Amino acid sequence: MTMAADDRRLNDMPRAEMTAVERRDRAFGWLIASPSLGLLFLVILFPVFWALYTSVHDYTLIAPNFDTFNGIDNYTKALGDPEFRHTLWLTAFFVAAVVVLEFALGFLVALMLNSVERFKAIYYAILLCPLLMNPVIVGLIWRMFLHPSLGIVNYLLSLIGIDPVNWLGSTKVALWTIVMVDIWHQVSFMIVLLLAGLSALPREPYEAARVDGASALRSFWHITLPLMLPVIAVTLLIRLIFAVKTYDLVYIMTRGGPGVATDLVSYFIYRTAFVGLNIGEASAMSAILLAVIMGLTVWLHRYMRSLT
Amino acid sequence: MLKKWLLAAALATGLSGPAFAETVNILMEGVPDTEYVKTLLPEFTKETGIEVNLEVVNYAEMHTKLVPQLVASKGSYSAIVVDFYWVGEFTKAGWLQPLDERIKADNFDTSVYVPKLMDLVGKVDGATYMLPFYNYAMGLLYRKDLLADEKNKTDFKAKYGFDLDVPKTWDEYLKQVEFFTKDGINGVVNQGLRPDPIAMEWSNYLFANGGEYHDANWKATLNTEAGVKAVEQYATNVNKYGPIGSASFSFDEAFNVMAQGKAYSYITYNFFRAGIDDASKSAVVGKVEIMPVPGTEAGKGGSLNGAWGWAIPKSSPNADAAWKFLKWVESPAIAKKRALQGGSPTRTDVFDDAEVNAKYPYAKALKEMLLTSHNFPVFTYTPQLVEVLGRELSLAVAGEKKPAEALAAIEAEMTELAKKDGKLK
Repeated sequence: MTMAADDRRLNDMPRAEMTAVERRDRAFGWLIASPSLGLLFLVILFPVFWALYTSVHDYTLIAPNFDTFNGIDNYTKALGDPEFRHTLWLTAFFVAAVVVLEFALGFLVALMLNSVERFKAIYYAILLCPLLMNPVIVGLIWRMFLHPSLGIVNYLLSLIGIDPVNWLGSTKVALWTIVMVDIWHQVSFMIVLLLAGLSALPREPYEAARVDGASALRSFWHITLPLMLPVIAVTLLIRLIFAVKTYDLVYIMTRGGPGVATDLVSYFIYRTAFVGLNIGEASAMSAILLAVIMGLTVWLHRYMRSLT
Repeated sequence: MLKKWLLAAALATGLSGPAFAETVNILMEGVPDTEYVKTLLPEFTKETGIEVNLEVVNYAEMHTKLVPQLVASKGSYSAIVVDFYWVGEFTKAGWLQPLDERIKADNFDTSVYVPKLMDLVGKVDGATYMLPFYNYAMGLLYRKDLLADEKNKTDFKAKYGFDLDVPKTWDEYLKQVEFFTKDGINGVVNQGLRPDPIAMEWSNYLFANGGEYHDANWKATLNTEAGVKAVEQYATNVNKYGPIGSASFSFDEAFNVMAQGKAYSYITYNFFRAGIDDASKSAVVGKVEIMPVPGTEAGKGGSLNGAWGWAIPKSSPNADAAWKFLKWVESPAIAKKRALQGGSPTRTDVFDDAEVNAKYPYAKALKEMLLTSHNFPVFTYTPQLVEVLGRELSLAVAGEKKPAEALAAIEAEMTELAKKDGKLK
């Protein structure tokens, strides 16, 4: 507590009022932070600004130069493209589906694991396995599992008398298949984060509630949920941002098909840049996506804060 | 600079001998033909004293690895291999060296190449930029054991009124697809995944119906009777006569269905012909043969051509050594040795070679396939056109667009791309 107060005092103080020691501390702070700050600038800020600069130029891989400034042309073209808008909506749907389902499932498992006393390490190890796998490998494995006539999933279903399912070849099923595989792959992320939050909760309120005779459901609703809100907010936010960027699964499993049923926005932007060779327009699309994600983040952050 | 340091380091550590030898660096795709070339490299080093360093990666990585090296004024690749997809882009961007002067100076005979291949991965607007390396034209794999079956023969004759035999025309083939969809077997297996698998496979359907992508002036000719028929037939084959899920198959999944004996036929890249006789991958060894995709009438082919070419980039650090390598690897003796290992030739003299024919009886069919094949449009935006085709055809197969609607959409975008590239005035 005193440390934090000291820091704040140091930061708010005009330079002239600092003592020599404080000034030296401050300089030293900058010195040890500068390599990481420099790195952050190089790998994050610079590419972002480069992309923004590119997005207002007619920059293609055929003519990679900034000779033609074209203002907001790339933006109006992108927003006027029905295919791009379709991918945006589809991505919104996909993100909502995976975040909601993974949260519901993840929270349930986390609550169950939280009350488990034995073999916790083993459950952890099992749950972490999918998370440690590269998404490309996840996609390839599931493509094999889901092969309609030679895959194991339809074979197992046939044993209990269910007709083969057209997992990736039907426009009605394909997106849900991707959602399912994403859940398999990423739900552990939710579980681990939520479980960390749960195990850090204080014991006292629960003991008090039990003395007062509150049911398990009531103590969940009135104690666990409110106390967990900050953790939930962060978990949802991180998962949401990752979900918007989903690219690997679609690239490996469906390439956006059948038809345009799984054409998520990240894959679309990639194609605009490296197949259509139009880096300018792809940058504009990325900027639009960045704005949407930032808007969502701010809104979710504020909303969750208003609840606590 | 870095190279100098490395050289100095090599000298210091006493590795000076090999470090002084010239090295040709080539980026290649991990395919059978690359492996065959690899086995022959010691001969080249022995002959010329030049070392060859092959960097082998998978297809998806190639373009992203190549472009930065091609844009640089001095890149790290002495020679490269170019897929026909990239020919338009690479030549338009001016990344490849014309080879005509070297060809003339060394009297290198390019007339032995299959002309269609020279058009695809050799010449661009009259200048030679590449030597055709290997071809991956598409052919029709079919089950010869099912064709020879006596009961099938009588049943087929009774149903259609003509003999069951190797299909002479596209219509005959479609009837066979219908006929063989029975007893747990599918008449055909398709590769309906976006974008390349479906676009490449469907091209055969277009050519087989007598259609083409564009006329001599690059005006799109897809939304025609032939085009509409091709889309309808493709959708019917996927949805009615194919196994469930083939709308999402890439070529490996489709190949597995064929190799497990679950389909009568499969239109695919000719290098799969060797794989079907590999007992570790296939349950139908000796039962499958390949032929050119039949066309509207006997003698006319509907196969789609495809190939890779050797090229020397403008940014090549040692173009002379690279040319020495190209000349050697494409010489009759080496091209033949590669073919004898199972490689996919581009030279007619190799196709006609007695030894090659004795070892691979289907070499004749492969040559016929190339001679009657059709080329995909080669221009700067070939990959983008494949993308558009993939999307629209996939929509048509899913029943979300009518064939004519999908074709009209492809035509509109193709026209725009051809205009952007200056092909269409």
